Amino acid sequence: VSLKNILAVALGIFSAIGGFVDIGDLVFNTQAGATFGFQLLWVVVVGVLGIIVYSEMCGRVSAVSERPVFDLVRERTGFGAGLATLIASEIVNLMTCAAEIGGVAICLQLLSGLPYRVLIPLAVVGLVVSSWVLPFRWIERLFGYLGLCLLVFAVAAIKLHADWGRVAHGFVPGSHVGGSTAVYLYFVVGLIGAAMTPYEVYFYSSGAVEDHWGPKDLGLNKVTAIIGYGLGGFLSFALMIVAAVLFLPNGITPEFLGSPALAAEHAIGQVGLLLALVGILFAVGGAAVETSFAGAYNLAQFFGWNWGKKERPARAPRFTLSWLAIFALAMLVVITGYDPVKLTEYSVIFSVVALPLTYLPILLVANDHSYMGAHVNGKLANFLGVLYFVVIIVIAVAAIPLLLVTHGGQG
Amino acid sequence: MVSMTMNPSARRRSVLRLATICALVGTACAGNAQLGAKALLQGSDSLRSAAAEGALLAEDAVSGKTTSNYVHEHAVELSESASQVEATLRAGSTDPSLETERGQLVVLARRISDDLQRLSEASTVEQRTLTGELQAAADASRRIGEGLA
Repeated sequence: VSLKNILAVALGIFSAIGGFVDIGDLVFNTQAGATFGFQLLWVVVVGVLGIIVYSEMCGRVSAVSERPVFDLVRERTGFGAGLATLIASEIVNLMTCAAEIGGVAICLQLLSGLPYRVLIPLAVVGLVVSSWVLPFRWIERLFGYLGLCLLVFAVAAIKLHADWGRVAHGFVPGSHVGGSTAVYLYFVVGLIGAAMTPYEVYFYSSGAVEDHWGPKDLGLNKVTAIIGYGLGGFLSFALMIVAAVLFLPNGITPEFLGSPALAAEHAIGQVGLLLALVGILFAVGGAAVETSFAGAYNLAQFFGWNWGKKERPARAPRFTLSWLAIFALAMLVVITGYDPVKLTEYSVIFSVVALPLTYLPILLVANDHSYMGAHVNGKLANFLGVLYFVVIIVIAVAAIPLLLVTHGGQG
Repeated sequence: MVSMTMNPSARRRSVLRLATICALVGTACAGNAQLGAKALLQGSDSLRSAAAEGALLAEDAVSGKTTSNYVHEHAVELSESASQVEATLRAGSTDPSLETERGQLVVLARRISDDLQRLSEASTVEQRTLTGELQAAADASRRIGEGLA
């Protein structure tokens, strides 16, 4: 395992850190653990496997055809459906980016004690400068690897003396104890949906093109998808376990971004708290970068503009303006005092539209010999791809009714 | 979908608190403008959660496990959360048979909010006292909730 190899999987780690442990997931995973203990761990496995299957597929498509996901969405679904997917995904990206910027400001507030509203523009300036100045690979590395400070939650799980027998039992799907069935299903759907958020594959497939992947990198693509998203899933397990051990017995339902950090603090002390906050800061900041870039990638690929961080801004002006505009709009949204929680709740509605129309073209093209040649989907990839597409459809249908019936998981 | 879930902010209420408040307000606005047992139960759960989290925070502060910025900021947001539950409970009316519980919860919410506000600026000695007080408040919320269940 060389340093070069470790750095090479940065795209997967960055995509996964931003996708799995963003502002919403951090609280949602701990809420899942605080409500149902270890009983939902199996759901994370289902979600992780799904995103690995589709990320590997879209990475392979990008490496072989040099065409990222949104390029294919328009071609395969036609202009009308493609435009609907574009609008839905752009709204999701903008709202999620706004929520993440709010999360960065909250994190900085917990670290520094400075006022939240002052920290919002500072957070945006920091994110824009790092996105502008750093090459794509260093953006991946900075946010991806510093986001790994979240591994402190795995240490916290050990220090809190979780009952590992019961933890292992949580990986077996079964009937649940405690809470209503509707709330349990709400968490099941939410955890799988969160794992398969569309912006992860938009970013991952475009990142593969940015990183100049070709057919020779198909092995790296597999390893990157497995290690990156595997790590994201591991962090989700850790968050759920510490919540099950510490919050559930005390009747705590974590409501704030600062709440998960309390678990690291309680188990490890000040170092644990600081590592947790720094990890959250970079994970949430990474998600903000990921969503702003995903939004710009989608626009550029849909309208056929020149795109890519690898390009000089003057050579891809509309792409560059797009990601800057998404940051600016997101800042305006969050600086008005609009609640990031509400933002993310509304984004569900648009995610539901975007989910099937994002994943279907990937599956179709990965099966197309004219694009993929010898690298077309094998039997296993097809079986898993179709299976997970059915899962995606079920999620898309069930998400909003469950959100309404359970009052956002309240029962 | 990340979002079905979530986050923070001062602006930072989580789905739980929002949903609790929505449920409380919704119940208060609907029908006879009364808070039902379910809404009161959700209010007691929210208060128990805020108080228990505050107790844990205070305990860590006494043990020197935390930073002053974190204690201050997190205690303030928990205090605001309890204040909002109080405001909603105060604004609503309830069936006479539940009036005692509503009154108890209003008083408890005020007490929890005040304790958390004090925690944000407390000395070590006071933090020790607040650990016990907040834990007692969490237990009281739980008992009221059990009576409503």
